[in-house]
This record gives sequence, structure tokens and C-alpha cells, in this order.
Amino acid sequence: MAKKKNSYSMMMVVVSVLIVFAIIKVIAPYVFMILLAKDHTMPTPSTLLLWYMVLAISASLVYVSTSDLKWANFLSFILPAGNDKLKLLFQKMLVISIPLLVGWFVYSGTVPGTASPVELRIQHPTLLQEFEKMENPFANADEATKRRCIEEGKHLYQQNCRPCHGSKADGNGPFANAFRLRPINFTDPGTIATVVEAFAFWRIKEGGPGLPATSTPWDSAMPAWKDVLTDTQIWKIIMGEYATAGVQARQREEMEHE
Amino acid sequence: MNVKKLNLKIVFTLFLALFLVALAVNTGIAEEHAEETVAAEVTGDAEGSAEEAVEEESVPYVEDEYRNFFGIDGRLIVWIISQLHLMFAAFVLAVPLFVVIIEAIGAKTNNLQFDNLAREFTKLLSTAFATTAALGGLLSFALYGLYPGFMRYMTGVFHPYMYVYALCFFGEVFFLYAYYYSWDLLKTGPGKWLHVFLGVMLNVFGTTLMMLANSWATFMMAPSGIDMKTGAVLDRSAAFFNFLWMPVNIHRIIANVAFGGFVVGAYAAVKFMGAKTEEDRAHYDWMGYIGNFIGLAAFIPLPFAGYYLGREIYSASPVMGNIMMGGAFSWTFIIQAILIGMLFVGGNYYLWNGLGRIKGSERYTPYVKYINIVIFFCFAVWLTPHNLPLSGEERALIGEQYHPFSKFFGVMAAKNAVVNLLILATFFSFLLYKRANKGETMPFKSHGNAARITMIITVGLTIMYLLWYSMGLKGQDLNEAIRPYINPLLTCIKIQIAAIIAALFLTFSNRGKLAQTLLFVVTVSISVIYFWYYGFVLMEKANMVLRFLSVTQVSIVISTLIVNTVIDVFLFKNAKEVGGIQWGKIPNRAQYALLLLCVAIVTLMGLMGFIRSGLRMNWHIYGFMQDKSPGAFTPSIAYMGWVVSLIVFLFLAMVAIVFWLATLGDKKKKHA
Repeated sequence: MAKKKNSYSMMMVVVSVLIVFAIIKVIAPYVFMILLAKDHTMPTPSTLLLWYMVLAISASLVYVSTSDLKWANFLSFILPAGNDKLKLLFQKMLVISIPLLVGWFVYSGTVPGTASPVELRIQHPTLLQEFEKMENPFANADEATKRRCIEEGKHLYQQNCRPCHGSKADGNGPFANAFRLRPINFTDPGTIATVVEAFAFWRIKEGGPGLPATSTPWDSAMPAWKDVLTDTQIWKIIMGEYATAGVQARQREEMEHE
Repeated sequence: MNVKKLNLKIVFTLFLALFLVALAVNTGIAEEHAEETVAAEVTGDAEGSAEEAVEEESVPYVEDEYRNFFGIDGRLIVWIISQLHLMFAAFVLAVPLFVVIIEAIGAKTNNLQFDNLAREFTKLLSTAFATTAALGGLLSFALYGLYPGFMRYMTGVFHPYMYVYALCFFGEVFFLYAYYYSWDLLKTGPGKWLHVFLGVMLNVFGTTLMMLANSWATFMMAPSGIDMKTGAVLDRSAAFFNFLWMPVNIHRIIANVAFGGFVVGAYAAVKFMGAKTEEDRAHYDWMGYIGNFIGLAAFIPLPFAGYYLGREIYSASPVMGNIMMGGAFSWTFIIQAILIGMLFVGGNYYLWNGLGRIKGSERYTPYVKYINIVIFFCFAVWLTPHNLPLSGEERALIGEQYHPFSKFFGVMAAKNAVVNLLILATFFSFLLYKRANKGETMPFKSHGNAARITMIITVGLTIMYLLWYSMGLKGQDLNEAIRPYINPLLTCIKIQIAAIIAALFLTFSNRGKLAQTLLFVVTVSISVIYFWYYGFVLMEKANMVLRFLSVTQVSIVISTLIVNTVIDVFLFKNAKEVGGIQWGKIPNRAQYALLLLCVAIVTLMGLMGFIRSGLRMNWHIYGFMQDKSPGAFTPSIAYMGWVVSLIVFLFLAMVAIVFWLATLGDKKKKHA
């Protein structure tokens, strides 16, 4: 009796994989819509879906082969069903669905389409050596000067950066929707909070045109500000920008102050 | 028929080797071609000057800065040779570390089985040693031949240490052969301990050797003791004890042990599958188990050591740190995540299959499915990148740059949480495996005062460490706005200390299993669930504190690992055995898992070697001496993939030959 119950483990694997697929593909977009209070669903990217499904299938196969008995039970599903009509039905479904699945993969992989290519993005371009050791000239200034610089910086930020990066530095400026890759949301702690100020200085000063030749293609509409703003103004903007976004720049650790 | 098959296999292997060599070298030649064109133009000028030279009948000597290797770029050649040398060296340094421990256990418990195992490992060692030395020599020649200018400078800085290196090499050779050949001579009594001492000395010399060479590599990443403009040596010892030296030493020693363990595990797997007798099967099954045990045991603390090294790289240069984790090398870390995930899955899979040879394990097999789910969930989070590859349409549909999956799974706060959970889950698998064979336990009192004292000392030291760390946290020089964010960390440490003390008393009152459960629950709640959430709070509000969060997380997890291990030792000491372990009764699937572990760790070492060295980008010595050779480009991921695959293939092929040579003598003995 127990053996008969276990002999459905291949179907259990198929069902589990389908459940994982449904969660990632169908449920997650709605869950994220509700959790993040968005007005649209958040569809799971195809790369991620593929990776997670590979993991789900591997996990199932790992589990069913953790003992000889489980493995034998798993494989036994392809043996003749005998009088078990349910098993026979599942077997037929399995036999039909495998070529269908393969066919679907082949079809979706070869059908002509107009999708733009998937890009391997890199978070931080390689900072040029000449910028690496740069320090904010106001870093060691007294509190009053710092406060004044931040206020001036906020003002300069609103004048120059707001149209794209938004008045709250959240990447929601009035021009933001015009870009294929939206301007960076500085309030997201995974952005400017992860780099040192010198990095932000380089990005503002040199902009998209100054991005290095490695790890291309870049996808940036950031203008180079070196002809418009002075270095001092850029440092002030950086101070104002971090303050507006409510995040802090990565701090250099002790060794460098030695 | 068999001979024909063997021939086919050999031909196929050779074909594969040639194919990979051709692919890897292809780019090098392409680069070289471009160089030749430039060289031809230069030669045009040179011809004129040569004519003048003939007139004067003497040609001035020109010191080359760079050369190539018969048309192949020097960087590629040095890359391959140094990585192969490092892999062999890792094996040769790691194996004595655990061989001595295994031998000492055998000597202490008078168990000949352990002694034989240690001896078998050493046999592999002596042949691998010669290969390591040969590759080391080749590497030196390649470096001096292909990068004469750079090596002239390095020799200028480090020449005194190079003599020490040579001296240590003599020491290692002496102790290795003394250790290996005196095995029969020093078999019993105090002689055995003298033999163990020889093994310890072998390790001392081996480790010193590695640390000396590490210093040169880390100096290139974080130079110190020199004038960064002129290169003048200001303080030779500062150049030697440079900033990244110790982090790399620690990381390499632990990684070497994991590497050695998994490589001997694969050796045992091959031997197991080819074994003809039950006795051999039992022996190699056990050997594979020990290999996997050593590999996993070293692998568990490895992410902590890696984190420490990574953090120190950020300290040495935040830019190099960003290149590593968020820049040109960020995608290689996704490959690293996949390999690490494979190692955790493979290690656990082997243990779960191993449960089948233990009677009484049925009580614990139901847990396997939950551990499996946890491990694969962690794997999924662990490999989710922060920057997802998105098509333009997907980006438009999502409406922003980051999908929530990448936002919540892709950053360090999530990765730290899941890697700690992976470690705890693997440790849990170990505990289940260990107790599968055990039945009724003895009351704690029956173990006497020694057990009580050991428990108190372990708990005392662990708590002292946690207190020492929290004192350090309190004393941090942080500004007032950030300081309050330290408090939750301190509270969590206090909770952990309370849990450890409670676990101690529970163990004393014979509730050891409850004590272990309590520690697991508290640690998972704090270090995984709460710190995952708190990591995001810190990222937003006080990213300065993030680095303390990670260390607190690690400290709490390690304290649980230590205390739970000691509880486990006494919990099952003298416990009744349920049925015994039937060595040799393990499916071949598990042996393939051992092979996978070996391939994965070799690939991982190849990949990480590339990252560590490649981080300098176009610098020989970061920030001081630039690499101006034509091959000084940062390879694309595809090119890196080909070269690392070639290295892995070459290493595995060479190891197979070396191991085959090592066991040639045995066959003769058996036939005789």
C-alpha cells in the first residue's frame, strides 16, 4: 500500500515544479504590486524565472535521489501502470507534455520577434585612477561651513539635477519618463550610498561620455557637467544630493587615513 | 575491446585538450597579431638604426620590459602557469594539515585505520610535491622571462625574502621526505609522536612558504613601504607585511584545506567506483567520507574569511572594492555564487545519501526535505544579482531599474543572511548524520567533571569573545546620528549570550537536544531573519554600521556552531549504537557528488584566482607601476571562462596522472 502511494513521486515533482513556476510567474508580480503599493504588476524578469526554475528542478531531483528507495520510487512511475487508471492517465499526460514542452521551447526560441537585447548591466563603472584618491574639500570643514555648503548644494541640485533625478532625489523628475533607463533613484540605499563621494564626483563631472571603454555598452544619458559647473559646485551638489536623498556616502576605512 | 575503448578515450581527451588550448590561445594570438603590426613599424625605424650600428660594429644592449611566449601573450601564459602552480601548492599545503591531525587521532586512539589513511594521503602528497616545485620553477622562469622589467623591481624590493623562501623550501623538502620515509621506522611508542612532530614541522615550513609568496601577491594589490611616485623602497618590512597580507593568508589556508579535502574525496570516489572487493569499497567509502568531511568543515568558515578579505580590499581601496563587487568583476561573483551553491548542495547531498548506510537514520530522513528546501531557497537568493539582465520591454513593464527580487535578494544584507543560513543548515545536516547511528544517550553527569569543565570553558570563551566584540562596538568612534543604530546589534549579542547560558544549563540537566534547538532557533531568528531586515534599515539610514552588522552576524553564528558542537560531543558520548555504519553501502550517485565537489572547488579556485589577480586591472603594482604590455586588458567573461576551464581541465588531468603514478607501486605489490 505504502509502495503504491510513493510511486507517484514523479508526479509530485512535476506538480511542485509547476507550483514554483506559478508562484514566480503569476503570484509574485501581484504580491509585489500590493506590497510596494504600485499601480501595476511587477512581472518577474525572464532571466530570473529561468534561473529559479533550474534551481527548482535541481532541488526536486536532488531530493528524490537522496536514497535508493526514493530514487527507485521516482523512476518506477514510468513502469507499466497495470490496473491503476489514475497512474495511466498521468503517464499519458507526461508522455504528451514532454514533446509539447520541447516544442514550445523551440518555438519560443526561434520565432521572429522584436525584443530588445538583454544586457548584462554593471552597477559601478571602473573609477579612473585620477579620481580615486580625491577628497571632498569640505569634508573636514567646520559644521557651519558644511551646513552652508549643503544648503548651497541643495539649491544647485534643484537647479541642475531636479529635471531628471526629481526634487526628492527619488529619480522621479519631470523628464524621468522620457528615458529608456530611468534616472537613478538616489534614495534607494543600493545606489549612491554604496560609493565614495569621489565616485559621485567623477560621474557628475564626466557623465555618460566619460564612461570607460571596459564593460560596454553603457546605457547612460547623464550629461558631462565639467563645462557647466565648477569642481567646488560639484562637491556642494554632492553634499546637497546625499542630504536630499537622506543617505550617506560610503566612508573610507581607517587604513586610508593613516 | 577494452584497449580499443581506452584508446578512444585517450584520443578524445587529447582532442579536448587541444581544442581548449586552441580556444584559450586564440585571443592571445589575435592580440599578438596586432602587436606584430606595431612591431613591424617599429622595426622599420630600428632597421635604420641597425645600419648605423653595423657601421659602428657594436649593437647597444636594450633591456626589454616585456616579451611574449613564442607569439602567445605573456599574461595568458603566466595566468595559466601560476594558477596551476597555486592549485598544486594548495593541495600540497593542505593535505599535510589534515594528515597530521588524522595521524595524531590514530596514534591517540591506537586505530590503525586512521594511520593507514594518513599514509595513503601522504603517498599522494609526495608525487604532487614534485609537480608543484616544477610548476613553481616554470612560473619563476616565465615571470623573469616575460616580465623582466616588473620582476627587476619586485626582486629589488623582496630579494632578502626570496632567500628565506628558498631556505623554507629546503626545510619543506627535508621534512616531507623525512615524514614520508620514516613512517615504518617511527611506528610505535614515542617514535610515533616524533613522526607526528615531523609532520607538524612540515606544516610549519609549508605554511611559511605560502605566506612568503602571498606577501608578493598582496603587495601588488595594496603596496606599502615604497614611495608611490619614485618606487624607492622606504621600509622593506612594511612592504612585506602589507595591508592585505594577513587576510589573504587566512583565506588561503582555509580554502586550501577545503580544496585538499574535496580533491582527496574525488580520488576516493574514483577508487570506490573501481574497487573490486567489498573491503576496498568499504575503505574508499570511508576515505571519501573523510574527504568530504574535511572539505565541508573547512568550507563552512570560508565565507567568513572571504568576507574579511573582501572588506579589507574595500579598506585598501574602495575603488578596487567597487570594481570587485559592483563593477567589472561583479558578474564573476554571480558565477562564484553558483559554484558555492553547488558545493553546499553537493556536500549535503553526499551526507544525505550517506544516511542510507546507517541503520537508525530513518528517524532523521524526514528532515532532509526541509533542509533541501532551505538550501535551495538560500541558493536562489545567493545568486540573485542586484543588477538583473533586463530587456528594454521588461524594464518598461517593471517601471524601474530594480525588480523587487533583485532589490530584496540582490544586496549584501540578503546575501549575508542566506549564507549564514546555508552554513547553519549544512551544520544541521552534519549533526543529523552524526546522530543517525546513535540511540539512547547517557546522562550528562556520567561523563564526569571533565565534561562539565569543558562545557564551561567553551561557553565561557565564546561569551568572552562576544562580550569583547560588543565592547569594541560600544567604543566605536561614530557620530551621534549614527550611534543609536549600534544598539540593536548589542541587544542581539546580549540575547545570544543569554541563549548560550540557557543552553549550558539545559545541557547540564540532560536536555542537550533542547539546548541545541534553542541555540539554532535564537541564532536563525537573530542572524538570519532579523538582521536581513535590519540590514535594509542600515543601508538606508546608516551604512557605516553595515560592516559591524556583518561581523555581529558571523560572531553569533560561529558561537552557535562552537557551542552546539561541544554539546553534541557530550550528548552522544558513549551513547548506544543503533546498528552501526555499513561502509561501502553507498550509491554511486554519492560518488559522483564527490567528483562534482572536486570539479566545483577547482573551478572556484581558478575563478577566484582570476578575480584576486585581475582586480588590479591594468596595474602590476596597484597605483604605482602600470602594466603597459599589449596583453594588459581585463578579459571578457567569455574569455575568462575559456581560460579557467582550460586550467581546470589541465589541473584535473595532471592530478589524475600524478595520482596514477603514486599508486603504480601498489598494483605491483598486490600482484606479487
